[in-house]
Amino acid sequence: MTAQPHRRPRQVSRFALAKGFVTVVISTIVLIGLCLTFAPSSVAAGALAGSLPFAAILMIVGLGQMLVVQQGGFDLSVAGGVSLSVVLATHYPSGDDAQLLPAVLIAYTCAVAAGVVNGLLVGFVRLNAIVATIGMNALIYGVVFAVSGGVPRITTDLLAQVAGGESFGVGNAVWFAIAILAVTVFAMKKTIWGRRFEAIGANPLAAAAIGLNVRRHQMMAYVLAQLFYCSAGLLIAGITTQPTAFQGDSLLLPSVAVVVLGGTSLLGGRGFPISTAIAALFLNQLSQFAFAVGVPYSAQTIIQALALGLGIGIYSIHMPSFFGKINKLSNREEEDDAILS
Amino acid sequence: MSSRGRNFPFCDKDGCQMQDMAVVVDDSNAMDAQPNAALPGSVILRLSGISKFYARIPALTDVSVDFNAGEVHAILGENGAGKSTLMNIIAGVIRPQIGTIEFDGRIVSNLSPETAAALGIAISYQHPAILDDLSVLENLRVSLPPSLFAGKSPRAVAQAILDQVGLTVPLHARSDILTVAQKQLLEIGKALAIKPKVLILDEPTASLDQDATNLLFRCVREVAKAGTSVIYITHRLAELRQIAQRVTVLRDGRKRGSALVAEVSDQDLLAMIVGRRMGSAFPPKADGVGGINFAVGSLSGQNFSDVSFDVARGQILGIAGVAGNGQSELMRALAGLQPSKGEVRLSGQALSPHHLVHNAAFMPSDRHAEGLATGLTIRENAAISALDKFSSFGIVKRKAEMEHVSDAFRSLAVKAPSMEAAVKSLSGGNQQKVVMARASLSDPGLIIADEPTQGVDVGARAEIYRILREVSAKGIPVVVNSSDAAELEGLCDKVIVMSRGRVVETLVGADVAEDRIVAAAVGALTHVDREDNRNYNASASGWRHFVQTDNATAVPLTLVMILLALFVFTQNSHYLSSFNIGNILMLATALGFIALGQTVALILGGIDLSVGPLAGFLVVVASFFVNDGQAPSVILLGFALMFGLAIVVGLVNGLLIRFASFTPIAATLAMYIGLQGCSFILRDSPGGYINAAVVEWITWQIGPIPVAFAVLVLIALAAEHGLRNQRWGWQLRATGSNEDSARRIGLRIDRTFVAGYVASALFTVLGAIMLMAQIGVGDPAQGANYTLASITAVVLGGTSLRGGRGTFVGSVLGALLLTEVLNAVSFLGLSQTYQYVFQGALILMAALIYSTVRERAAAPH
Repeated sequence: MTAQPHRRPRQVSRFALAKGFVTVVISTIVLIGLCLTFAPSSVAAGALAGSLPFAAILMIVGLGQMLVVQQGGFDLSVAGGVSLSVVLATHYPSGDDAQLLPAVLIAYTCAVAAGVVNGLLVGFVRLNAIVATIGMNALIYGVVFAVSGGVPRITTDLLAQVAGGESFGVGNAVWFAIAILAVTVFAMKKTIWGRRFEAIGANPLAAAAIGLNVRRHQMMAYVLAQLFYCSAGLLIAGITTQPTAFQGDSLLLPSVAVVVLGGTSLLGGRGFPISTAIAALFLNQLSQFAFAVGVPYSAQTIIQALALGLGIGIYSIHMPSFFGKINKLSNREEEDDAILS
Repeated sequence: MSSRGRNFPFCDKDGCQMQDMAVVVDDSNAMDAQPNAALPGSVILRLSGISKFYARIPALTDVSVDFNAGEVHAILGENGAGKSTLMNIIAGVIRPQIGTIEFDGRIVSNLSPETAAALGIAISYQHPAILDDLSVLENLRVSLPPSLFAGKSPRAVAQAILDQVGLTVPLHARSDILTVAQKQLLEIGKALAIKPKVLILDEPTASLDQDATNLLFRCVREVAKAGTSVIYITHRLAELRQIAQRVTVLRDGRKRGSALVAEVSDQDLLAMIVGRRMGSAFPPKADGVGGINFAVGSLSGQNFSDVSFDVARGQILGIAGVAGNGQSELMRALAGLQPSKGEVRLSGQALSPHHLVHNAAFMPSDRHAEGLATGLTIRENAAISALDKFSSFGIVKRKAEMEHVSDAFRSLAVKAPSMEAAVKSLSGGNQQKVVMARASLSDPGLIIADEPTQGVDVGARAEIYRILREVSAKGIPVVVNSSDAAELEGLCDKVIVMSRGRVVETLVGADVAEDRIVAAAVGALTHVDREDNRNYNASASGWRHFVQTDNATAVPLTLVMILLALFVFTQNSHYLSSFNIGNILMLATALGFIALGQTVALILGGIDLSVGPLAGFLVVVASFFVNDGQAPSVILLGFALMFGLAIVVGLVNGLLIRFASFTPIAATLAMYIGLQGCSFILRDSPGGYINAAVVEWITWQIGPIPVAFAVLVLIALAAEHGLRNQRWGWQLRATGSNEDSARRIGLRIDRTFVAGYVASALFTVLGAIMLMAQIGVGDPAQGANYTLASITAVVLGGTSLRGGRGTFVGSVLGALLLTEVLNAVSFLGLSQTYQYVFQGALILMAALIYSTVRERAAAPH
């Protein structure tokens, strides 16, 4: 065999690998271009300083959801997880800075517990991820109400300073998000654990065949996701002066949307943390843009839905479409053949 | 992209195939000289010049066969000879690229499973298209034409079908409790029932014991006598002599010859089956024999028993036999992936299955399913089981990884554009080499290669043989399973031949020859032991049967509801007041209707996240038309609009899922967000009061019972009845149960899915009408929470999220219980905390209980 025949697959593979990233980056650049032309106010320093921390929070929540989706799961307990850490961080200290650290520790402990239960139910008891996390979400909300009674309380000064303050002209929340993103990327690409985690998500059967512990890694996804939601909740508690007990509700759907826009398949597989993070920026900026050009708040969700639909459309027309679909068809027939012969 | 994939060029190989073709075509012309006018019975089915290619690889080349009425015509050949492809072409499942099919003298183009059935072609698959979630009776009714049952008692018709094949299982038993053999008989019964003109039986006796086989043969003879043309696919010469009049032999997708069974000897048939020309060279076999380094003593497991063999250092052991005789299970057991009993000794040390997983490198036959993570790069795949070797403190050292992996790739001659190429961009042979690279990097104690050259081109085969031989020479035992006897002859030093899970022959040295292997495999007379076969539990008694039905949840749900009501009543006597009962029922009606819609989506194996926002959106739409002072026509228009919009939403959901390859979650999630936006566009704050008279009508109560609730119950009962007793119900459940089997029995999958999502939206309209009366105003913020509530209610009701099983009645009960619990919390004076805790605990407990009960009910296979 000569070297020539192998040139084509190279193009295919490069193309396929970069697709999620390229799509989301181009979309974001186009959006920023639109903002500069039609709504410069939406990219002005003041507007960005106000909106970026919320993009950062969405980014963190999205990364958590991504870990679960990578393992072929789905986490509906985002809302509960975020809301719980919000109320724990505001109600427990009740304005007293000295109580903040214990409150944060309690919040993380609760997050680990919630994640472990989710992981056990999905990974070991093999419950459907949607059912398990709906149930868990309700239970977490039970705790939220037990702690807060549903009444908002003012955040402590220290938390407001740490989470809501600025360093080097950028909101601290953004720095936290960047740090979490960096750790995620490093862990995923450079550590043994991350490599195994990706391989298990990409093909759990193959991973089991080489002796990897599939269930434990699936459980870890839920635990880490809760830790991420908890961190996001703490940031919200710091940024918002008087956060409500339902702060997490509005994050559930966007968390899934950024994962999908980032190119991670809802059927599981490789996760794209950087693309997910950029998708969070994109979605946030899209709202800012719509707001600045005078689209009423109401219509913004339609734009988000269209962006999401378009995103999914683009990804489903990539590998699993033409090439993949034909492949799948013939594979399916071949499989039949193999089974039947 | 497709053309790129296809052009993936192996020019030299294509050329070689062309030559191959020429040689064999001559060959087959010479052998195919039997005229068929000698026998009575006219030609019913004529295949002329049939060719079928997968990508570039021919599965069938220029096959022409005539099948006569009233004759049993056996198709003989090794695995991969093209028998199944031929059968699937006749059944309309696969379309040939070249060639014509003539049925009863007329040329049939575009044969599909439905048209084949209409012509009177029936097929019994070796892997039965039986739907596990449906009962035996329902399986018969969904896959057989309704005319068969017309005017007669369906149970009597079904019982007659079972009697004909000697199957003794209760008609109402769920099919997942049937054994493989029983499913096989049911499948054959289905095929016989339509009194077909052409009956295809694919390896029908593979899982049958002697009695069942005899009964089957009697049936086949009767059917043939009545004029049916029977196409009988088999591997076994002995069976052929018992049942068939004519035989056609396929090899490498070509016809090798046809003959009357009475006029052809076993030797001649064997000669036609074997003699495959191997396109690639084999490395020399082991010369000196070392000591035994791998021994297996009376190993038993699923589908195989009492297997013993030993392998000397440097030897490659082959496992042969007709596919499906326990070889692949044995391979999995040797790799530690399946439980087994017996002894496995590697270099003198006994290994448990747990040790085997870590010691053995398994090369699965289905590389895509189990071998490689196709979404990852070849470097990531190759390195995955050896990461510990090139990392420190849990961090992978990139340089070390690259060095090791590229060394491995070099020594195995993996041809890939780069280390970062996606696995799926490689050819089958190179993918297999990536699997081998992964194995060699992990320093295995043992190599278990299941069909190592399946889907691998000729050039790469030789290299794979060379690599296996090199590994073996290093002292690592290599076990190869292959359905290709010629491959085993060339590669192995010792071969065990399996039949029905047992070793029937052990061949060593010069005896390792293709004809010996094939003769042992096809000549074996072993039959499945009787006790393996008839151990189904007769779940006939009424109560035990009821516990296994989808509606079993109704009892515990009702009990819990009554107990809860009584408990709350003792705490607060107003709880059972007519007002409160009416209130609970009214609230439950809205949720109940939406839950019915969600049930349809879940039975299909999907999910509909858009139901909640859809209900809210429809209320907002209604708030523009159904107002006080509007003319009746405008109000009616409003209602019509609600139904029309819902149908559009359902269609979009269904079409996105079926034709744009969106997952159900993704499609309905986008719809969720979009509908919420639409609600807010129409109204950014609550407005548009609903007509008071209309509200009064909708909330009309007789005593404590709202009429709407009675309507809900009636609709649920009717839907439940249809789900069990009508064609649409079976189709819905069959599609959700197993899409592939449903396709094979000729159901229109896409149409069922789209109709299902439309039905889900239509039920939601009814829920929206109730919601409209409750809120009394168009509020864009309402409705969304019905999505999660509906899923909770449906899961409480006992519908499985895996699809195929569901209950409408259960969903209504689930909605009722959920509403009752939320209402009880406020009557007991408990805080909101308990509302959430009860909700969460209920759904988790229900899911846990139901999944345990189901696991227990299903028969172990």
